[in-house]
Order: sequence, then structure tokens, then C-alpha cells
Amino acid sequence: MNIALALSPLLVVALGALLLMLAEAFSPRQGGLALGAATVLFVGAAVAGGVWMYGIERLPEAASLAPWLLLDRFGLFFDMLLCLGGGLAALLAGGYLVEHGIERGEFYVLILFATLGAMILASSGDAVTLFLGLETMSLGAYAMTAFRRASPRAAEGALKYFLLGSFAAAILIYGFALLYGATGHTDLAGIGATAATARTPLLVVGAVLVIVGVAFKVSAVPFHAWTPDAYEGAPTPATTFMAVAVKAGAFALLLRVLLIALGDASWTSWAAGWPPVVATLAVLTMTVANLIAGRQESVKRMLAYSSIAHAGYALVGVTALMRDPTQAGASVLFYLLSYTVSTAGAFGALILCGSHGREAVSYEDLSGLGRRHPAAALAFSLFLLSLAGIPPTAGFFGKWFVFKAAIDGGLYWLAILGFVNSVIGAYYYLRVMVYMYMREPAAGAPVALPMRSGYVTAALLVSALFVLALGLVPTRAIEVAVRAATLGAG
Amino acid sequence: MVALGTIYFWVCALTAVAGALSVVVSKNPIRGAMGLLLLILSVAGLFLALHAQFLAAIQLIVYAGAIVVLFLFVIMLLGPAASTPNDRRGLFARAFGGGLAALCGAAAIALVASAGLAAKHPFPLADVDPSFGGVDAFGSALFADALVPFEVSGALLMVAVVGALAVARGRQGVASLTRSEREVARAATPEPDTAGGAGVYSHEIHAHEEHSS
Repeated sequence: MNIALALSPLLVVALGALLLMLAEAFSPRQGGLALGAATVLFVGAAVAGGVWMYGIERLPEAASLAPWLLLDRFGLFFDMLLCLGGGLAALLAGGYLVEHGIERGEFYVLILFATLGAMILASSGDAVTLFLGLETMSLGAYAMTAFRRASPRAAEGALKYFLLGSFAAAILIYGFALLYGATGHTDLAGIGATAATARTPLLVVGAVLVIVGVAFKVSAVPFHAWTPDAYEGAPTPATTFMAVAVKAGAFALLLRVLLIALGDASWTSWAAGWPPVVATLAVLTMTVANLIAGRQESVKRMLAYSSIAHAGYALVGVTALMRDPTQAGASVLFYLLSYTVSTAGAFGALILCGSHGREAVSYEDLSGLGRRHPAAALAFSLFLLSLAGIPPTAGFFGKWFVFKAAIDGGLYWLAILGFVNSVIGAYYYLRVMVYMYMREPAAGAPVALPMRSGYVTAALLVSALFVLALGLVPTRAIEVAVRAATLGAG
Repeated sequence: MVALGTIYFWVCALTAVAGALSVVVSKNPIRGAMGLLLLILSVAGLFLALHAQFLAAIQLIVYAGAIVVLFLFVIMLLGPAASTPNDRRGLFARAFGGGLAALCGAAAIALVASAGLAAKHPFPLADVDPSFGGVDAFGSALFADALVPFEVSGALLMVAVVGALAVARGRQGVASLTRSEREVARAATPEPDTAGGAGVYSHEIHAHEEHSS
């Protein structure tokens, strides 16, 4: 019984997805599935929170699933985060798909299963479950990207995403195969124990391949080429899901691998370990993505590059794991939380600005929105400020903790580069606001007409609540993140 | 007195060879598929003699049950017109390929036979559990030791099925495209992206309410 309690977040989402499929098959009328999917995911988040409150340490049976699944506070934190992100994406889908006349029940089932895959990924302590979870998550995301297959752009984005994602998975599994060959273990703890004692070339090559495979999944530069096209071609709720849940799942994988399999002192040293590799990825990702994002004319594509840049800021925190795994890990977890609600909100606001087959995409589409539709513009502005990292929003404290972790770890140059990059990033976020409040559309030019949807409004309200709450009182959330990161390191 | 096991082996082995030959030789594709079925059944019989019950069952379920049926479906779909008439083009290439395959096969058999003649047990087997390879050992590995990955693969297969369904049905959605998207789908002329360089169709969705203000 206790094992079911420990597994309950996963079970809620899995059973919910199956029940929803049955409901879709036997229900006489279409629709209503968005509410069901969002409910299942929010209940999943609540259940994960409940198990957190009860204390996963009080359930000794949870350890019987190790090393396949490590049911710890780290996993529970990600369960909450992923269910929140997936639930927001499901709510946005409920508005977007109906408005644009492409609603089919499969989309919600895919969101649920992909979230389940990400939760399994975040909890897995063995290469086998890790790979199965990763593929469950990725297959759902591929299918969601290709959802509007008749659109050439969606087909292009989905094909690129599918091919590059498959290559990335192949590289990752090849890396794990080499690690298995070098250590004789598929579980991360076993790999870590052997990797600590002897370092062979096979081990190094395996570790590099694993890091490259994960870098593809978090879309770090130079492995980001698929991201803008996939994000732009996908229906916007699917983009939200990819930017939020898929990225968070991949970061969970990265943290587990770096902390458990390669967490030994010899591997975390600057001279002979992974920190310079991750730091290079972080610098490249922030800089390249920010420079390209500033040149975009499509807001959706700009947000895609922005999500790449945010992966770079989070990688700054990952680099700082070398000195203080708990504090740096907590900063990454908090960053992912603030990034999740801000990005889901920003994509949600973009969805809100379009209606009936006409999406708002370019900057010009949004010009004059502040005068015509002040509420939509206000919501958009709040999430953009949070992404830019301006107080009193969640994004400010997210960046604050990450850069603070880097400074405490002695990585001053990395923190300075991160700060310079967030100033560059503010340019293109504020540019949207300039268009919304200070420009008027050219005479006779087409302008965006916001949709009316209770689902999208609800998603925006939830995101805005989190953005403001995390921005005003971050202490509780950072305490939770510290507790999650503490056990994740063990 | 020949042991019963030896007779069983020879029956299965010769049937397998006969089935394999009929796949290669027969002109009629249906007969070829039936030959393949015969081959699979007799190989399953050989597995059974080697105490690999699980492998034998899987051989029957997967190969005989699914793959041969799939072959038959394809043959039926294509119809009799799909079988090529007996032409003699490429005879040299075919003879060369066949000869090479025969040579390799003969060399492999000779290698194994020579090793087998030289020693009583050329490939010494470690002392394995007698239940090794059996249904019970396999079942306990699958449903006790590795229960979690087994269940998780269920989710993976389910998402693959639902995803394939979603993508296949997505084709009907032409009506749901925006007007400009339909134009692009018709013209399908890639234009270079202004920034980033990665995307091809960067500019076709714009917002687009004729709304004079």
C-alpha cells in the first residue's frame, strides 16, 4: 500500500490518461477533454505535494524500486513542476485548439503521457528507465509538433525535431552503452561508484556522449538547431509544453547524471571534470541565443530563442554544482520553476492575442494592443518582465539565485557574462512592450484580435499568481528547492 | 540404436532446410511465404530441443503469427500482377551473389565442423541453471527484477500508438489552415529566412484581421 502512496503522482497521471482515453472513446460529444487533462495534471501536482508534506522518507518501501525509480524529494519536486507545466499547456490547448478548429482528443492524451514520461525521467536512477521515460516524453512531443500535419511549417518543424531528437537519443544511449561497458553498471549509482575509482578513456567518451545527448534535449547551443523550427511550427500549446516540461525533464536528467553518475570529486574538478564543458555550453547558449533572438521578426520565434537562452542561464547554475551541489542545485530547481510559469504565461498571452485561425505572430500584429485590449497587454507585459528578470517577478529571483550560486562557486566571469546576457535579453522582451504600448498599427494593416477563452484566462491567472508569488515571497519556494536538491545529491 | 532426440533434431533440421530452399526457389510468392512458415516452425522445434521454451514460443508468436501474416497481406494487396515474369537479365550478378553466399555458408559450416571434430566440447558451456532460458526464469526476470522498466515500456508503446494516430489524422486538417498557410502549402516555394537561417517558412502566418481603426 505504501508503495502505491510513494508512486501516487505517477499513478494518478497514468490512470488519468487511460480514463481520459476511455472517456473520449465513449463520450457522445466532443470537447471537455481539456478540463479533464488539466484536472488530472493539477491533481497529480497536488498529490506530489501531498506526498512531499507526508514525507517520502517515512515510506521505506519506496526504496524497493531503486535503482529503477528513485522516489525522493528531488523527483517529487519535478513531479510538481512537470504537472504544473503540463497542466498549463493542457489549459492553453483547450483554448487554442478549439479557437483554431483543430481540436482532437489525442492532443490531451499526448500531453498526459508525455508528462508521465518526463516524470519517470526525473525519477529514474537507471539508464533503462531513464531512456524509456525520455522516449515516452519525446514521442509525445514529436506527435504534438506534427499535430497539424497539413501545414508545411509544422511538417518541417516536426521532421527536424523527430530526426535530430532521434539522433540525440541514439547518442545518449550510445554513451550509456559505453559507460556500461566501462563500469558494468546501468544504474547511475553503480556507474558513479566505479567512475570514482578508475578513469578509463571509455568512461570519458561515454560521459561526453551522454552530456551531448542531454545538451540536445535541453537545446543548448551548438545543439539547438532544431528548436526554433520545431517551436515555431508546433501548435502554440505544444510549443509551451516543449519549452516547459520537456526542458525541465531534460534538466532533471542532467542533474541526476552529473550529481550521481559523475558526482565524484575527480569529475567535478575544474581541471579534469565536466565543469568547463558545461560552462562552455552555458556561455555559448546564452550569448548565441540572445543575439539571434534580438533579430527575430516573429514573436513566437523570439520566444523560442528566448527559451534557448534560458537553458543557458540554468546551465550557469548547473556549472556551479561543482562547488556546492545543494545550493547550486536548489538555484537550478528554483530557476526552472520560475522559467516554467513565466514561459507558459508568455506563450499563453501570445495565444490569447490571436483568434479564429489568425494567430498573432509578428511584432506588428501586437502594435497598439495596449490601447485596444489593455488586459491582454498587461498579462503579456507581466510575463515578459519576468522573462527579462525584472523585479518583482519570479524571473528576477530565478536569475538572482543562479548567478549567486555561480559567484559563491568562484565563477565570477560566468556570473558577469550571464548578467550581460540578461541585459541584452531585456532588449527584445521590452521591444514587444514598446510595440504594444507605443506603436499604432499602420492604417489598414491587419491587427490581432484577442480570443475569449475561459481556459486560456485560467492558465494566465495561475501563471500570473505564481510569477508574482515567487517574485514577492521567494523564501518558501527556495526552501523547498533546497530540500529537493539536498536529497537529490545523496 | 539412434536416440529419439537425434531423430527429432534431424527431422526439424531437414524440414528447416527444405523450407528455406523453397523460399528461395519457389516462383509463387504464396508458396514462398508458406516455405518461410515451415522454416520458422522447425526452427522453433530446434529451440524447444535446446530447452529454450520461451524463445520457441516467441518464435511462433512473433514470426509465424505476425511476420508471415504481414507478408501474406502484402502479397495479397499487391496481387498476382506484382510477381515479375521470368526474365534472364542480371543472370551473372545473381549467379555470382548466389555462389558467394553458398561459399560463405560452406566456409562457416566447415569452420564449425572442424572445431567440433577436433574437440569433444569445442565451446565449453558454463554450468548454467537448468531453468536458464526457460519461461519461468524469463518470467521472473521480466516481472520481478525488471518490473518497473517493463511497465514503463507500456507507457512508451501507448504514447507511440496515440502519437501515430494523432499524426495520421492530422492530414485531414487542411480546412483548418489559415488562408496564407494554404497558399504556402500550394506554392511550397521555400524562401530564405531573414534571421537565424534555419527556418524556411518564416513569414506566412501573420495576424490578419482586416480591422480599420
